[in-house]
Amino acid sequence: MNGVIQLQLGQFSLVYILLLIAGLIMRKYHIDKIKLLIIANVRMTIQLVIAGWVLTYIFKNPHVIFILLYLILMIGFTIYRVLSQNKTINKNFKTVIALSISISGISVIVFFIHVVVGESMFNPQYVIPIAGMIMGNTMTGVSLGVKNFRESLDGQRPKINALLCIGAAPQRILLPFVKQALETAMLPTLNSMVGMGIVALPGMMTGQILSGTLPFTAILYQISIMVAICTVVISSCFGSLYFGYKTLYDSKTQIVNI
Amino acid sequence: MHILKSSNGMKFLDILTYPEIKIFPNAVTFIVGKSGCGKSTYLKLLNATILPSVGSIEYNGKNIQELDIIDFRKKVMLVPQEVFLFDETIEENFALYCRNREEEKPLPAQMENALDICCANFPLSTRCSVLSGGEKQRVFLAIFLSCLPEVLLLDEPTAALDINTAQTLLANIKCFCNERNITAIVVCHTDELVKAFADYTIQLGGKS
Repeated sequence: MNGVIQLQLGQFSLVYILLLIAGLIMRKYHIDKIKLLIIANVRMTIQLVIAGWVLTYIFKNPHVIFILLYLILMIGFTIYRVLSQNKTINKNFKTVIALSISISGISVIVFFIHVVVGESMFNPQYVIPIAGMIMGNTMTGVSLGVKNFRESLDGQRPKINALLCIGAAPQRILLPFVKQALETAMLPTLNSMVGMGIVALPGMMTGQILSGTLPFTAILYQISIMVAICTVVISSCFGSLYFGYKTLYDSKTQIVNI
Repeated sequence: MHILKSSNGMKFLDILTYPEIKIFPNAVTFIVGKSGCGKSTYLKLLNATILPSVGSIEYNGKNIQELDIIDFRKKVMLVPQEVFLFDETIEENFALYCRNREEEKPLPAQMENALDICCANFPLSTRCSVLSGGEKQRVFLAIFLSCLPEVLLLDEPTAALDINTAQTLLANIKCFCNERNITAIVVCHTDELVKAFADYTIQLGGKS
């Protein structure tokens, strides 16, 4: 197996020809969002260049502090993104979400690196990319779950009110919403597992194969990261919603505040 | 002796202030007044689905805040204005509401009886999605009746009905409540119905 071919900057910039084509099509047919196309690509380029510099620096100087900072930043950003998409929920609910994301994220990352791979938690080459994949999927899953929960409650106020008036306990009224939102949050992860290896080779595996790893090793990594992602999505969503829904009512007054 | 009593000067969010109100048992009390005077809010306060900011409500001489609230709501039941039925058959709706109250569903005869009282004698296997707005409201009311509360709070039960059906419905409900010693409190806008069916009338927010 050969290592990956190094991209030369000149050659690399040719990839923007593809972007130009996409832009031209959008312009010719007056498809909106050209501005977003440009902003998204500029942001991606800048963010990744910075990430590249930072990673190069951290790999050369693998210090515990750097890795911890990187992890904290990653988890913080995940929490920030989830909460910014769900601004209307109450403060305690937000705290529950932040805790669920942090606890399940950290536990799964530590288990994966330390137990499954058997590497030191302070080897940036492993910790940073794997934590990135795990937290990225956590972000998508929890965002989707909480958003779905919030919106379905909003749309079902008459139902909640009628059940409350007839003497149903808030817990009983709200639990079906929790279950349904959990299922919605899990679906993308589960669906991607179902199609994996047939329709597309997943990113991590592709990356490893390109850089010369034996396909069989790449497969083992991919399977284990998928299981880890599946677990982190389910546990962080479960924590957020199952403990979060209890902040919507008060056990003394039994009134639901959504 | 009254069954429900709210204290003089009871307030909700500083918007509404109520005088002392006593509700007598085994009778039908109508609450009337201009719109915005707090009739529906009063029923919600009685059912403890909202709380007064000042003042309190007593049920059989006990402050309701000290009671088990879920148990209290099962006894003092509010039929809200906004109807909600599950997208299932009428029978399933009875069953689902009962399951949410953690109770057995009523027998078919009891369900049919409740539907009859509410002028909604559709077969139990009817899907609720095919019913009209007024029909849904009556089925909804029948489900609440079948739970046999001690106090029944009705928020404009005749809003979607023509005057004849409204009269039959209220006459049936009054008869049903008398037979089973149920106290009823009804918010209603139609003077004719108030005159015909009220044992007591409470005027809120001054004369209109």
